[in-house]
Amino acid sequence: MIKTTKTKALSLSMIVSLALTGMANANVTNKDILNDQMTTEDVVTYGLGLKGQRYSPLKKINTETVKEMRPVWSFSLGGEKQRGQESQPMIKDGVMYITGSYSRVFAIDARTGDELWQYDARLPDGIMPCCDVINRGVALYGDLVIFGTLDAKLVALHKDTGKVVWKKKVEDYKAGYSITAAPIVVKGKVITGVAGGEFGIVGKVRAYDAKNGNLVWERPTVEGHMGYIWKNGKKMENGISGGKAGQTWPGDLWKSGGAAPWNGGTYDADVDLLFFGTGNPAPWNSHLRPGDNYFSSSRLAIDPDTGKIVWHFQTTPHDGWDYDGVNELISFDYKQNGKTVKAAGTADRNGFFYVLNRENGDFIRGFPIVDKISWASGLDKNGRPIYIDSNRPGNPADSKKGKKGTTVTSAPAFLGAKNWMPMAYSKDTELFYVPTNEWEMDIWNEPTAYKKGSAYLGAGFTIKAINEAYIGVLRAMDPKTGKEVWRYKNYSPLWSGVLATAGNLVFIGNPEGYLLGLNAKTGDVEYKFNTGSGIVGSPITWEMDGEQYISVLSGWGGAVPLWGGDVAKRIKHLNQGGSVWTFKLPK
Amino acid sequence: MKKSNSRLLCFAFSCCWFLCATAFSRSYDDIIESNEIVIAVYSDFRPFSYLGNGIDKGKEQGIDVDLARIIAKKLGVKLRLRWMTADESVDDDLRNNLWKGHYLKRTVADLMLRVPYDREYSLLRDDIGELVHQHVHMFAPFHTESWQVIYNSKKIESVETIAVFQYHDIGVEVDSIPQFYLTSAFRGRMRDRAKQFPSISEAISAMTESKVDAVMGLTSQISHLQSQLSKTDYPLAKNAFPMIGRQQWDIGMAVKADYRQLGYAVADIVESMIKTGEIEKIFAKYNVIYKLPNLYKTSE
Repeated sequence: MIKTTKTKALSLSMIVSLALTGMANANVTNKDILNDQMTTEDVVTYGLGLKGQRYSPLKKINTETVKEMRPVWSFSLGGEKQRGQESQPMIKDGVMYITGSYSRVFAIDARTGDELWQYDARLPDGIMPCCDVINRGVALYGDLVIFGTLDAKLVALHKDTGKVVWKKKVEDYKAGYSITAAPIVVKGKVITGVAGGEFGIVGKVRAYDAKNGNLVWERPTVEGHMGYIWKNGKKMENGISGGKAGQTWPGDLWKSGGAAPWNGGTYDADVDLLFFGTGNPAPWNSHLRPGDNYFSSSRLAIDPDTGKIVWHFQTTPHDGWDYDGVNELISFDYKQNGKTVKAAGTADRNGFFYVLNRENGDFIRGFPIVDKISWASGLDKNGRPIYIDSNRPGNPADSKKGKKGTTVTSAPAFLGAKNWMPMAYSKDTELFYVPTNEWEMDIWNEPTAYKKGSAYLGAGFTIKAINEAYIGVLRAMDPKTGKEVWRYKNYSPLWSGVLATAGNLVFIGNPEGYLLGLNAKTGDVEYKFNTGSGIVGSPITWEMDGEQYISVLSGWGGAVPLWGGDVAKRIKHLNQGGSVWTFKLPK
Repeated sequence: MKKSNSRLLCFAFSCCWFLCATAFSRSYDDIIESNEIVIAVYSDFRPFSYLGNGIDKGKEQGIDVDLARIIAKKLGVKLRLRWMTADESVDDDLRNNLWKGHYLKRTVADLMLRVPYDREYSLLRDDIGELVHQHVHMFAPFHTESWQVIYNSKKIESVETIAVFQYHDIGVEVDSIPQFYLTSAFRGRMRDRAKQFPSISEAISAMTESKVDAVMGLTSQISHLQSQLSKTDYPLAKNAFPMIGRQQWDIGMAVKADYRQLGYAVADIVESMIKTGEIEKIFAKYNVIYKLPNLYKTSE
């Protein structure tokens, strides 16, 4: 009797101490975040490292072994809320954290696929997110799981229980704001942008203290708006973005300039800068707002401590085609003439890939990432587009009474040569793997248009495939030469993130439902598995119990199915879903 | 641009996943049987449909709300209002609120108010030749809308033409047609003078505080807000709006194309209300200038 009790007490204390050590290890630190790219046992950042290279040094799954790879578990996001699943999973201590459509978060046992907890944000009536009810993932810090909601709140949950620790309203959803991107944590601060339609919003990047959600700084992305910093709880002016209003905008249109940084950001510790991209300027009709319209359709380098803009690079000045400049800027180094160049690469919706000096934003080189670009004939020595004026969509005010105006055909289409879906950079091959789409749009003036009970001159447009055989093209691009090394063509548009590994593999999903594993050097398909619904999420890989795992969300949706015309024909048969698939090699 | 006035051919969803009973627009018989009609009106849209403040705090009111009440009453059913958040165009609002539902919440109304009554618009074809509005039936124009400038007579002697707004600041609602118009017409010569405000009533307040000299908006909105001001200090201008496209247009309502019987019943109610002057009385209650649609003028 006595003996048994003792053993019990002993084992109980062991459990307690084990649990305690487990807890202590489990907190995500700044160091974990900074080293994420090299630590293979966890994925604690969006982009597998703050640089966003989406490269893993793992190579147990490689071009030789990948054929044997098979699913080990699948997890259903359930309910009747099956919409686009654009999330990238995170992994910490054998737990996977994902977001789902409609602002949901799940914690899953990464070994078994068992659900540990689920959090459902209560969404108000009347929210109007632009492009599906998606979310791209969480940020991890300390014992918190942090994500942005469709009604523009930032919510921090406890990693073990899913209970709310703090919650902050970032913007008013009634004014048209929402959040869909994954926040990032840099130096203990959660950094997030906002998404917003064209309801006269002003884009802002904000930093919050990750521990309690207190605002640290706020940086408007439109010229003329004051930035703020909070010191000891006191809000202080911190300089007007761009110096002053009215330099690159006419009238007071800067007051509602758009430029929403809706796709999140990256960070490079080497130069200690945050990189955020910004959306198109508002209103959409470029004839209303002559000028470059800073800082729309740009990449901004922001000081993470103060929120000051250190440099900017505008990919589409005076945008008239809806070419948001939100796509991720990925830091990478390369050698040229014996010298290391601190570069960064970004693939824009406008059809060009830009290599920039990440210390100062100087343009190094640029090259097309699609076969057809009709709005610009190229880039000048500073990286500014050389416009083809006849290809700018016309001013609806110029349309003849009652007549549908002449149609302008522009490539790429408004959904972009590359949209939000993150590319990958492999330090082994020194190539960028860029998910692109070959499509164009027709735009015409429309004299019979109505908005909230008012008649006006509007514009109509439609999106079309350029080639019968394919829209999606995954391209392997050499950033040093601008040469395309290989391409993989896909019938429907690509809308999934990319992952590169040291196993000489590149993973991507397609709307047809396949997780594809391609040879990083040749583009040959080495692996394919149908997950049952279209993939628009970003795959990850990690190591657990000595084995390499790969995970991806499956669940068709996002912006593509919301559009019609020619493209709809290719995708309307695709079924919705909502699940996580996890793979490994058999033992 | 991505969302404005798109020719959407939407992806059809195969399942009804949420409150099937009220997810679809319903036939006349179903409405009568259920003893309830769902009518969609725009939220926060003075003087048409809004929640009151002051002593009327939270009370559903406005021209469209009153009209909806009478329609329900004359059909002999209870009224449930569906408050719409305006999307970028009426095409989107029709899809979100009448024939398909927004993807967030696939429910729709039986009847939607403040829909244009415009033959050209209802017969619009998309880029592949399909009828854009094949899913809805637009009918029963109940008033004619137009644009209006109100100005501070101490600052501007008179507004003969829109050209004075090359020299005088004019307030507009952000992301509205007047904003687009003033920033684009005449190669943007009035662009620097167009000052944007979150709402028309805030623009009017700015005018009374001498921050702008005039305001442009819908005739209904401007006349409604003018009623709280001195008409000699803040008169209505008589200028035209060249290059704005349509100078005036009719506002009516819509039902789903399959439910024309409901449309006919409602059209009869509206027509009798126009003949008895009931509609005009509702407009007068909100101090709004009423203009009779042409349809009824010719039928007289």
